[in-house]
Amino acid sequence: MKLTLSWLEEFVSLPTRDPSALVEVFESLGHEVEDHHVVDPAFTGIVVGRVLEVMPHPNADKIRLTRVDVGSEELEIICGAWNFEAGAVVPVAVPGAVLGDDFEITRRSIRGVTSNGMICSEIELGLGTEADGIMVLNEDYPDSLANIGASFADVIGLPDVWFEVNVTPNRPDCLSVYGLARDLAAYFDVPLRDHGISVKGEGELSDISVSIEVPDLNPRFAGREVSGIIVGPSPHWIRWRLEQAGVRPISNVVDASNYAMIEFGHPTHAFDVDRLGNRIVTRLATEGERIVTLDDQERVLTSTDIVVTDGASPVAIGGVMGGAATEVSDDTSTVFIEAAYWDPPSVLATSKRLGLRSEASARFERGADPMFCHLGADRVAQLLEEIAGGTAAPNAVDVDPGGIEPWTIRYATSETARILGIEVDAGTTTELLSRLGFGVEGGDPLEVTVPTRRSDVRRPVDLVEEIARLHGFDKVPDRVPQGPGLGLPVRDRKLRLLRDVMTGAGFSEVLTFSFIGESDLDKLAYGEGHVVRDGIRVVNPLNESEGVMRTTLLPGVLKSAGANLARRIPSAHLFEIGRVFLKGAGKLPEQPDRIAFAMAGQPLDTWIEESRQPDVFDAVGVWEMIADKFGIRDASIRPAAIESFHPGRSGEVMIGDVAIGAIGELRPSVASAFGLSGRVAAAEFDLDALLTDRGAWQFDPPSVFPPVVFDLAFAMEARVPAGEVIAAAVEGAGDMLETYRVFDVFEGSSIGEGQKSIAISFVLRSPDKTLTDEEAAPIRKRIAATVQTVTGAMVRGDV
Amino acid sequence: MMPTANLSDPMEPLESLRSTAGARIEAVASIAELDALEAELVGRNSPIGAARRGLGTIEDADERRDQGKAINDLATEVSAAIDARRATLAAIEEREALAADRVDVTLPGRPVRRGTSHLVQSTIDEIVDIFVSLGYTVADGPEAETGFYNFTALNIPETHPSRHESDTLYLDYGEGTGDEEVLLRTHTSPMQARYMETHEPPVYVVVPGKVFRADEIDATHLPVFHQIEGLAVDGSITFADLKGTLAHFAKEFFGRDTEVKFIPHYFPFTEPSAEMHAYTKGQWIELLGCGMVNPAVFEQVGYDPDVYTGFAFGMGAERMAMVRHGITDLRALADPDLRILEQYR
Repeated sequence: MKLTLSWLEEFVSLPTRDPSALVEVFESLGHEVEDHHVVDPAFTGIVVGRVLEVMPHPNADKIRLTRVDVGSEELEIICGAWNFEAGAVVPVAVPGAVLGDDFEITRRSIRGVTSNGMICSEIELGLGTEADGIMVLNEDYPDSLANIGASFADVIGLPDVWFEVNVTPNRPDCLSVYGLARDLAAYFDVPLRDHGISVKGEGELSDISVSIEVPDLNPRFAGREVSGIIVGPSPHWIRWRLEQAGVRPISNVVDASNYAMIEFGHPTHAFDVDRLGNRIVTRLATEGERIVTLDDQERVLTSTDIVVTDGASPVAIGGVMGGAATEVSDDTSTVFIEAAYWDPPSVLATSKRLGLRSEASARFERGADPMFCHLGADRVAQLLEEIAGGTAAPNAVDVDPGGIEPWTIRYATSETARILGIEVDAGTTTELLSRLGFGVEGGDPLEVTVPTRRSDVRRPVDLVEEIARLHGFDKVPDRVPQGPGLGLPVRDRKLRLLRDVMTGAGFSEVLTFSFIGESDLDKLAYGEGHVVRDGIRVVNPLNESEGVMRTTLLPGVLKSAGANLARRIPSAHLFEIGRVFLKGAGKLPEQPDRIAFAMAGQPLDTWIEESRQPDVFDAVGVWEMIADKFGIRDASIRPAAIESFHPGRSGEVMIGDVAIGAIGELRPSVASAFGLSGRVAAAEFDLDALLTDRGAWQFDPPSVFPPVVFDLAFAMEARVPAGEVIAAAVEGAGDMLETYRVFDVFEGSSIGEGQKSIAISFVLRSPDKTLTDEEAAPIRKRIAATVQTVTGAMVRGDV
Repeated sequence: MMPTANLSDPMEPLESLRSTAGARIEAVASIAELDALEAELVGRNSPIGAARRGLGTIEDADERRDQGKAINDLATEVSAAIDARRATLAAIEEREALAADRVDVTLPGRPVRRGTSHLVQSTIDEIVDIFVSLGYTVADGPEAETGFYNFTALNIPETHPSRHESDTLYLDYGEGTGDEEVLLRTHTSPMQARYMETHEPPVYVVVPGKVFRADEIDATHLPVFHQIEGLAVDGSITFADLKGTLAHFAKEFFGRDTEVKFIPHYFPFTEPSAEMHAYTKGQWIELLGCGMVNPAVFEQVGYDPDVYTGFAFGMGAERMAMVRHGITDLRALADPDLRILEQYR
């Protein structure tokens, strides 16, 4: 809602004109001021003058010589405009006046005659776009006639203050100058002036009849006929105010309707009566019925749309847009001003379906004031009388079958204390609500009558808000209640632990958008029909390349790594914790928590250390640390070929027998698709198993006795996974095993083609005595036997 | 009578040792040499050792005792000199060894890779902790949500502009329409209804999480961002509790001298509603939206609005982080550049 202070001041005398003070007042009323500025005249030294005489220029045909009374003196001024004659009241730039930033007016000779100033046009004064002819004030600013010699800025109300106010959706009553003036009047406790709407009504009786077929969707239909109109431009003050309000002036008939809407908030529509006829019926459209709207589009209607008809065919879509067939044109002379009330949800549904949102539909959607209809029409009629030469009919049309009446709320002042935490007594409450135009009667509880413009006020708590707005939140004390202290749930604690583990391991966290595109899945080399391909589409995506909810976190992490490498950051270790979206059986998609991490690039060598590329074992080491920190004892990696990964250097992340994700080095083609080169280690897995409570870990007292340490090397076929050998060895070692370490792995010729060797160092320790080599010997044998039984691997050398 | 024994007076080599030992010990230049000299002077085969062995041949007990004492005194004296010299030599040798083992400690250290939590995440954690310390717990809800929880349960009318496709991202999922339609939650407020449906008052809960809007990316908009929702419902919660709690939060998060003010606003799910502005870094900044839970929301979840009152608030984690850390362009928070991430301390 854009408006000027001077317009507000037509309805209320404010104790201040200070812009920042007014911004604060608007805000304290709940009307945030998006923007504001002082409207200074783009000129100085312009006075109101009266043209006394217009004479030909002795030496030129296209310009004229004038004699102008500027109050203190009479000046001869040469003027090139022809839109005025003697008697015109005009803005005069006297010598010394400045237009714009630095165009100073001086006496100068034009074709041999001295011109003592300049008569100005709108465009020269920065007051509009009209460049044809000078401003003639006689009719546009009648006050100017009595103010010859006065400051022109004063006459047109400059300087002014311009505000852009964000009116919240619950306050359609404040989508108008009058509505905001009412709130300001209530705030300052000063009177709100009457709306001042009055129609002369000197025309002939109107015979236009209106009937309403669906009163629940069209509870009221009012209007007035105005004849004898001459369509033309509006006077400057209307055009100027419309422009300040962000509305483009068009013609006096259209401008009058827009002006009245901004002034009082009620949208109206003007029909050309010669094209309309004298009969109006509002009804539901029939399925497939058509109308060409004002924007020359043909609209196909459905049976839920409400239309205004001439008794046969639609001439307007109720509350949304008028029809082209009855549109006001340049030679319209008689109009019918419609001011109806339309059911908000119905207007919303129609405007949404047709993609037709206008200032009018926006107001009807939120709710106009049904009791203001006839005044809305009359205000337009009054303006047409004033600015378009119109003659209004003495009778208004007003069909009011809906009977929307003000409603009452019983309000106990204890409700104020219960919600706000402060007492506001019945007297103060009555006073505050009365200022806003509520009717208040009775003691406590009060009987509060709500004006129909306030469709947002339905319950006692809505009145609490009104009291709070006027009384001020700053009168409410501060109190800090304590909750029962249920604390941070396990899930949140575990997520924090996971972040700590990852950041401690040198990974930085990224938070990427939850959208992916087909191309991301192409890059990840997932084939058609893979579950990752079966993502949930966004109906109205911001862009088509990110039109699917992510089914994997990898694209976000890999793109983030790629972005770093592209910026010549040599190495990126990144992780993201977040949700993916998968189709499931429930009403909502499945949205499991996951982590993905990636180690890409290679750090530069330093003076002390040579760098190396990350590999699968870096990723596995990270997983081992996570598993350890989360107390997962049955974590392992199962070799597997996974689409995006190197088939020989990747596997599934396992807890027990359950695969929770994938880990390894990326397939080189996948890495390069994300702008990464060399080996890239990455993983992605579900967090459900990690985020559950596993109970407290239990203390294991370290043995104080010396250990027995021995190594065993196992020979086996190369295809046997080391993990199975290790698991069997651990099982065979039993309780005395304190720790083990794989210290050598090799394959090939020295041990035999297709064979490999894995050497493991074991540390055995007894909790209660010094273990002897003799006691350790059977354990060695048991390790060897178990490994051989489970995997077929043989100990090399003696056991 | 010439005492023949005088010819082989066992004390005589000791006298010579006594007179020369000091100088010899001082002359030694290394611990190895000193060890050899020690053997020569006080070892088994030294004159002192020989003299000790000779003691047994002295018959006179007094003389034996006197000589023994003289030998021991000499041995102690020499050993002390050797030990002193050894300490000196050890110090010299250590000094020389360390002097040879020297590096330039002003060189950079061995790199330790540093990782950081994302600023938005650590901001969420910090804000959550402030409320946990006030006795709140934490809940989390689905990011893909139904129209019912995102709008209807929150008293957001069909006509509200936030339901438009220009504001809300809808998902092609299931057959549902209206309340059943699946969308990306536009705020964390749906958890108000979800939490109250499954918990009885008193409710003190915060809900951090991702939210989504159909906004093009610019300096003040991201299509995916994070909010922290708060909800307190109890028998006697008033706007005073809301004010006090959020003012306390602002002081904890932005500093003790942070001033706040509340100005009326509109949210369908709270009544009255307000925005909290804070005075920080020399200006008033809009921080968050809040209000008293609308009775219509209580009715949706089966709480009696005549018995319970409550307040709710919602704040943007990104906004909190930007205001606090002097970030002026929201896009920085969506940038994975490590030069940004590594600033998140």
